[in-house]
Amino acid sequence: MNHRERVQAVLHYQRYDRLPLVSFGYWKETLFKWAWQGHIDPEDARGYQREGDNGPADRRVMARLGFDFNWCSTVGGKSCLLPLFAEETLETKPDGSRIIRNSEGLIEKVNDSIVSIPALVGTSLTGREAWEELYVPKLRFSPERVDAELFDTLATESAARQLPLGLQVGSLYGNIRNMLGVEELCYLAVDDEDLYREIIDTVGNLCYQVAETALSFGVQFDYAHYWEDICFKNGPLVNPAVFRELVAPHYARISALLLSHGIGITSVDCDGCIDLLVPIWLHSGVNTMFPIEVGTWNASIAPWRKLYGPELRGVGGMDKRVLAQDKAAVDAEIERLKPLVDLGGYIPCPDHRIPPDAKFETTAYYCEAFRKAFG
Amino acid sequence: MSLLQEISENLQKGRAKNVKELVQQAIDEGLPVKEILDKGLLSGMNIVGERFKNNEIFVPEVLVAARAMNMGAALLKPLLKEAGVQACGKACIGTVKGDLHDIGKNLVKMMLEGKGLEVIDLGTDVAPETFVETAINENCQIICLSALLTTTMSGMEDVVNAAKAAGIRDKVKIMVGGAPLTDAFCKKIGADAYTPDAASAADVAAKFCSA
Repeated sequence: MNHRERVQAVLHYQRYDRLPLVSFGYWKETLFKWAWQGHIDPEDARGYQREGDNGPADRRVMARLGFDFNWCSTVGGKSCLLPLFAEETLETKPDGSRIIRNSEGLIEKVNDSIVSIPALVGTSLTGREAWEELYVPKLRFSPERVDAELFDTLATESAARQLPLGLQVGSLYGNIRNMLGVEELCYLAVDDEDLYREIIDTVGNLCYQVAETALSFGVQFDYAHYWEDICFKNGPLVNPAVFRELVAPHYARISALLLSHGIGITSVDCDGCIDLLVPIWLHSGVNTMFPIEVGTWNASIAPWRKLYGPELRGVGGMDKRVLAQDKAAVDAEIERLKPLVDLGGYIPCPDHRIPPDAKFETTAYYCEAFRKAFG
Repeated sequence: MSLLQEISENLQKGRAKNVKELVQQAIDEGLPVKEILDKGLLSGMNIVGERFKNNEIFVPEVLVAARAMNMGAALLKPLLKEAGVQACGKACIGTVKGDLHDIGKNLVKMMLEGKGLEVIDLGTDVAPETFVETAINENCQIICLSALLTTTMSGMEDVVNAAKAAGIRDKVKIMVGGAPLTDAFCKKIGADAYTPDAASAADVAAKFCSA
């Protein structure tokens, strides 16, 4: 079996020879630390920053550690703002931090010396006028959103490919959060409900059109993948009822499109406590939760499986915090994962990009212990 | 429905404009400002906090309710000062050094204000000495610390140590929260309270101030 076949077998509850050892990439700081410590080639740390997941540098680092492939091995069209805003510095503070307008129009405070997401200051999407003038033109569909040359090449290589490849569908709500910020998005839902709905529909329709065009090239995708990141430790950053009413129909429409192209596995990347959104996604055809961030809320596929049955699959759920500890902690984590793997339809994977407190030796040992446990 | 109930109801629904108008009406009708604050705004925000804790409402509803409260409170502020009404406590809050996340911190700030506390928001990436200096200079009873990253949560211990070094540790309560935090971590670094959510944080802070 190759890894494509293994993924399909595991997620469809069929027999497989061994469980694939899946990665979810790293923080760039992690790789620079490991390079500085002499574990990996510094050029691979730089290469990963340039090329991203599943690029040549990532593949070399995965080979050093023992991973088989990165779940974020996806390609897709551009369902984002096109063109993006030109990033500009609006102000430089005495402490070296800067106020910038980022590529999605958010006004943010960044500090290059700090390893953290930026702090939100404001948004360029200040109301209907800004929406129509600045954003609508950037969210119109055009065939150029899909790289025809790339998809033609992928289509011809499909049969020979050994590694799974996902269609990146984009984001139906996280993308909007990235344009407005959490607080402004919440205020907009109350202050201008029509505009709120219009933005959701515009982004949903664009994702559909881009996916439709990407699929027309005939690439054999192994799964489809969304990113959202719209939950925090206590639950969703959106009211689930609103999400069900306004966003779920777009998932369902895209799921029908994916199914018509033979794609039956669709994963969604969402950190935080996703419990209240899981049934909405599942009902809309998004059947594989990723990366099942364990966190302090102890997320696991087991209770979801009990609630929703075998249609609910998972990739993730390996507690990344273990990678900052020792071999004994890894052994305990592998033991915790064993009954979850036995449930079927589940592939363990670090529950976030590996952070800078992770030790190279512990991460390599995780791969070694995983192979011993799961073949 | 009484005017104060109307304020509370509209606040819970996040109707900021209505809340502002109703608070102004209550002022114009001569209702005591402390009563407008307690039985109108804070009463509404308390219900919001409870419902949030019970997963009956979510972050969006809390944010819009807090915005409505702030609009009403802005009208009351000068009148409360004039009447010599003090906040029930004072806290400073911030995200620890090296961390720029602020949604959780902002939610806690809103909830604390909803309990009638005065809150000084120090923002993100805040140095330990800034927390301590603010607590001293502003007579804060509570320092609230937020962190989202496993790599920055250790900065909370630096604040505890800075408070000890400044000789204020027995005068100030230190509360911690954030995604990677646990009660065990709170105890390990010698902080006073870990709370799992913003509404619980406000409950604990209110208890600290009334003790």
